[in-house]
Amino acid sequence: MQGQIVETKFITFERPFRLESGDVLNPLEIAYETYGTLNERCDNAILIEHALSGTAHAAFYHEGTKKPGWWDDMIGQGKGFDTEKYFVICTNVIGGCNGSTGPSSLNPATGRPYALTFPPLTMRDMVEAQRLLLLSLGIKRLRCVVGGSMGGMQAMQFFCDYPDMFDSFITIATTMRHSAQQIAFNEVGRRAIMADPRWNGGDYYGEISPEGGLSVARMIGHITYISEKMMQEKFGRLRKDKDSRAIFRPTFEVEHYLDYQGIEFVRRFDANTYLYITSAIDNFDLVSSMSGPGRIRGEGRARGNALETLSRKRGLVISLTSDWLYPPPQSQDIVRFFSGLRVKISYTEIATDHGHDAFLTDHMKQSLIIKSFLDSIERTR
Amino acid sequence: MYKIPRSNYPIIEGWIEPGSRVLDLGCGDGTLLSDLAEKRQVEAVGVEISQDMLVQCISKGISVYQANIDKGLCQWHDQSFDYVILNDTLQVITRPNDVIKEMLRVGKYAIISVSNFGYIGNRARILFQGRLSPKILVSGSWHDTPVIRFVSIQEFRHFLKRMGIDIVDARFFLAFSLITSLRWPLVNLLTRNGIFKLRRKI
Repeated sequence: MQGQIVETKFITFERPFRLESGDVLNPLEIAYETYGTLNERCDNAILIEHALSGTAHAAFYHEGTKKPGWWDDMIGQGKGFDTEKYFVICTNVIGGCNGSTGPSSLNPATGRPYALTFPPLTMRDMVEAQRLLLLSLGIKRLRCVVGGSMGGMQAMQFFCDYPDMFDSFITIATTMRHSAQQIAFNEVGRRAIMADPRWNGGDYYGEISPEGGLSVARMIGHITYISEKMMQEKFGRLRKDKDSRAIFRPTFEVEHYLDYQGIEFVRRFDANTYLYITSAIDNFDLVSSMSGPGRIRGEGRARGNALETLSRKRGLVISLTSDWLYPPPQSQDIVRFFSGLRVKISYTEIATDHGHDAFLTDHMKQSLIIKSFLDSIERTR
Repeated sequence: MYKIPRSNYPIIEGWIEPGSRVLDLGCGDGTLLSDLAEKRQVEAVGVEISQDMLVQCISKGISVYQANIDKGLCQWHDQSFDYVILNDTLQVITRPNDVIKEMLRVGKYAIISVSNFGYIGNRARILFQGRLSPKILVSGSWHDTPVIRFVSIQEFRHFLKRMGIDIVDARFFLAFSLITSLRWPLVNLLTRNGIFKLRRKI
């Protein structure tokens, strides 16, 4: 049965959009989707932030497709983010490759894709672009900003930069700053791309893209997205191909699985975007961003005001027990930080064997917790 | 789940200054904290190990932190609360001395209720039947009860003295819904539950 249909919408801002680096994007295009209806007071909006490889297509179906959006289990009628009550928005981050301006977009100065002439990007730049979109939709105040993984980083950055825009935030399986190990994993991914001769200094548009490098990057990522236990239970030492002469060809099930993940990814993702966004993730540091010079750079003007309103705000931090990419102690740090800012914050650990990816797959418990959180905000606001 | 003795609530409410910061360890479904938030306008935070209970706290709009209190309260800075409550929870924790130390590190006052193992009814049951009273076990039998600590009022007072903790106030529940704040030795025999307001010796 085909579910509800949604279309990705696009908005173009034809004026200079200033980044934290001082560089300017003009024009700036943002791809976004919305689910549910904005009420008359324009105060029932929830902003969903996507993770590294996500898109604006968070829920429902595109016309004629069989696969719903990436968080369809959580967004819809009667689900965790109930579209009967809320106006749910999801945008593709800038720097992305699914409709918003990124390295694969045309650089108006040269008439060719930006490639590496695309300016360096930060988490703050991504949320500033979203703020532009929200304001153009007439939304000044949101019920909640929510995201898992990199989405959680954006959610925290947005919430801290503009606390008076939100009643609450929710983070799932994320961190306020990458550890050395997390940076290391990303760096190996980036090196795999850059070591691919087809990458060609980022200038590969119109040619064959660095598929080999990008798929290796994705394979490394996928190892960190699932738990050791899940991998063992799912694949163990099973072999797909019993041909013993097949030397150095993938024969183990786990090899085939990673191979598939890599191939599936290169079809829909741009290698330069992978470089830009993973760098933005590595450079993200919430605490220092709140006091550093970046605070007054870039697009925002009223940024960081109204911090005193934080004591009236609420937060929900969710971690996943078997997540070894963003393990629970990093979420506990988030709680400690926001408690210090006097945000009324709750913390829960979802018991799961599915590792980091559980934020996309284990929707039952998440729905229940998120639903009761949003309901209580509605009652107490 | 076991029944929470609501009779403690008015005493706790009476001890808590309006507008203060309160941490409730083992806060269950958040009933006490939402009472305190309503009647004493406190800034309420709970700690709870069960996710089902935690969801109920969240529904009530209470901030709640999922954790095992035996693993410490390192989440909170020194003296970040006015009161830290351990209501009807002492008997189920593994390391009560560490938990109580932690309570008085993060809070100015600790409020702790004690189910009195020295109560005459419990003694009589052991004396005549050779068995533990079901009221002491709260739920289940000896092998599956959550209760792992059997403490009397007298035992608890000795412990506080040794730890250098002052009793600021205490109430003891007697028969016929009588409550006393007297600290004579017979209390250990006659009270079923006691509740203490504590602080570090200055």
